[in-house]
Amino acid sequence: MSIALIRKKGLKAGLSHPASAWPTGALRYLIAASFTGFCLFPFYVIVTTALKTETAIFAWPPAWNFKPTLQTFYNALFVFGGRSAVSYLINSVIISGVSTFLAVVLGAMAAYGFARFFFAGKRHLAFWILSTRFAPPVAFIVPIYLMVQKVGLLDSHIALIIIYTAMNLSLVIWILRGFFAEIPIEIEEAALVDGYSRLQIFWRVAVPLVRPGIVSTAILSAVFSWNEFLYATVLTQSRAATLPVYLAGFSNSMGLAWGEYMAVGTIAVLPILCFTFALQKHLVRGLTFGAVK
Amino acid sequence: MPRIEFKGFSKTYPDGTRAVTDLNLVVEDGELLCLLGPSGCGKSSTIRALAGLDTVSDGVILADNNRIDHLPPQARDCAMVFENYALYPHLTAFENIAMPLRARRLPTPEIKQRVTKIARILRIEALLGRRPSRLSGGEKQRVGIGRALVREPAMFLMDEPLGHLEAYLRVELRAEIRRLQERLGITTIYVTHDQEEAAAIADRIAVMSAGRLQQVGSFLDLFDHPINRFVAEFVGEPPMVFLPVERTGTDSIAIRGIQIQVSERHRTALRAMKDSELILGVRPNDICVGAPVPERLNGEVTLVQPQGDHAILVVSTPAGQTTVVAPLDRRPDPGTTVGLTFACEGLHLFDSTARSLNREDGDG
Repeated sequence: MSIALIRKKGLKAGLSHPASAWPTGALRYLIAASFTGFCLFPFYVIVTTALKTETAIFAWPPAWNFKPTLQTFYNALFVFGGRSAVSYLINSVIISGVSTFLAVVLGAMAAYGFARFFFAGKRHLAFWILSTRFAPPVAFIVPIYLMVQKVGLLDSHIALIIIYTAMNLSLVIWILRGFFAEIPIEIEEAALVDGYSRLQIFWRVAVPLVRPGIVSTAILSAVFSWNEFLYATVLTQSRAATLPVYLAGFSNSMGLAWGEYMAVGTIAVLPILCFTFALQKHLVRGLTFGAVK
Repeated sequence: MPRIEFKGFSKTYPDGTRAVTDLNLVVEDGELLCLLGPSGCGKSSTIRALAGLDTVSDGVILADNNRIDHLPPQARDCAMVFENYALYPHLTAFENIAMPLRARRLPTPEIKQRVTKIARILRIEALLGRRPSRLSGGEKQRVGIGRALVREPAMFLMDEPLGHLEAYLRVELRAEIRRLQERLGITTIYVTHDQEEAAAIADRIAVMSAGRLQQVGSFLDLFDHPINRFVAEFVGEPPMVFLPVERTGTDSIAIRGIQIQVSERHRTALRAMKDSELILGVRPNDICVGAPVPERLNGEVTLVQPQGDHAILVVSTPAGQTTVVAPLDRRPDPGTTVGLTFACEGLHLFDSTARSLNREDGDG
């Protein structure tokens, strides 16, 4: 014990020594702040451009001092091209939300099966699921377009929901399988002798214990569905079009309305940002600590 | 409370490991039976099969003469305590204990009352609001025992429940387990590799080795009348000493030419058998240390371990190394040569198949 302690201390001392070569105090914060600023600058430009008037947008040198106006927000959201951005926003929320929910629920069940049960061809099946992501999505765009057209689901929410769910599933399954496998098996055996069925154990014991995994895969799935452009632009026109499709539409015909474009861009970032922040507190380690030994 | 019976129970795991072979064992109603054996002897496999966590490869398990080996775990009414506690980490101690009751959809006030009652018995009332990560090992296992007992199960299975605890806690908790079990009269199977624990807690002990049941009986039964060399060696501390002996006549034996006095019973047994290779077993307490004389087995004391009221000596003799228990005040110094004599009542003889010749019935 004492030897281990000394070793640990020695190791710490050894590690902290080169660390003294790193900048300290104010300098450290200065470097961190400038890097953060560098990363956030594009986002700053998006937001400020959205709040500037047309003349302020094109002013050179850039108008750092300007009077924010909500007029452009209003224009972008409610009157652009006779259609409101709100409907695109709603489409995005529905499609991302439902596909994320389905991918996580179905994926968690599949992952639990892979982690806990033995069946013939398990490894091949798992590999096949992963392989669904090997080819670039654009390679399938024509067959999928034809299939969607055949079943009459063009420009519908359900087509994109199915496609996004399928695309997210392999990711969810592979990530969650590792999380489920890490739950000590004795906890579930204890639940079995306590009188719970497998399905009850899944919901009441296994899922709460992989909460961080569920949350991270939910965030990844939601971000993917929210930002997906290729399938959205090919399979939808207006009724089910999502925000990326709407954003892309700005650059044609009558030039670019920068203020409105940036306003919608801001709106497109905010929901996913809020979603991630809201879930972030569940990304904690060590949920199974203290269960065994 | 049911009487549990294993009939020809065997367990082979999918990878081909044979864990248990042809186990026939009865656990009487309300009895506390210890399964004792070294790790890998099949004792855990046996209770896992009883709990329904593993399938039965062969044979049947009966509870009050009804087959239960085909039932799912939740239908068997077994409660189990695990060596590594296996508490639900996301739930408080209260919710952990309440889980079996919630599975049975009991009304909330009754759950509260029963959990509180069991917590009072186990003296963990103050800890009910804590998560397992904030409990010590002993506290965790108390919660584990509470979770098992709260629903008043038909069977109580404990898989080395005290294995991870410190020595003083083990002694304290095992007494508590025994008290609770007697009070509730629950048929209990207790798995352990610690013979002292088994001796302290069990009505009867079943000794297993390499997947086979060796002997069932009270601790004294096993200690005084071990059926074979394995039980003789495994039960008793310090372990029995074994020395090869040669036959010098139809009913006499010797170690390296030194005649050994044997009892009448042994003489009868010897006359009835032909084996020339025999093993003599003797408890270290039944060996006396004296002056070295030619007609005794002499040896050099190589190690002296004082133990409080006695000393354990390791003596190197021509027939092999032996352990001897000597009184503390008359212990020889290391390096001295001593003569060993054996109390003839304490001798055990084992034939070439390691079976004991001490048993009169000889059936085993």
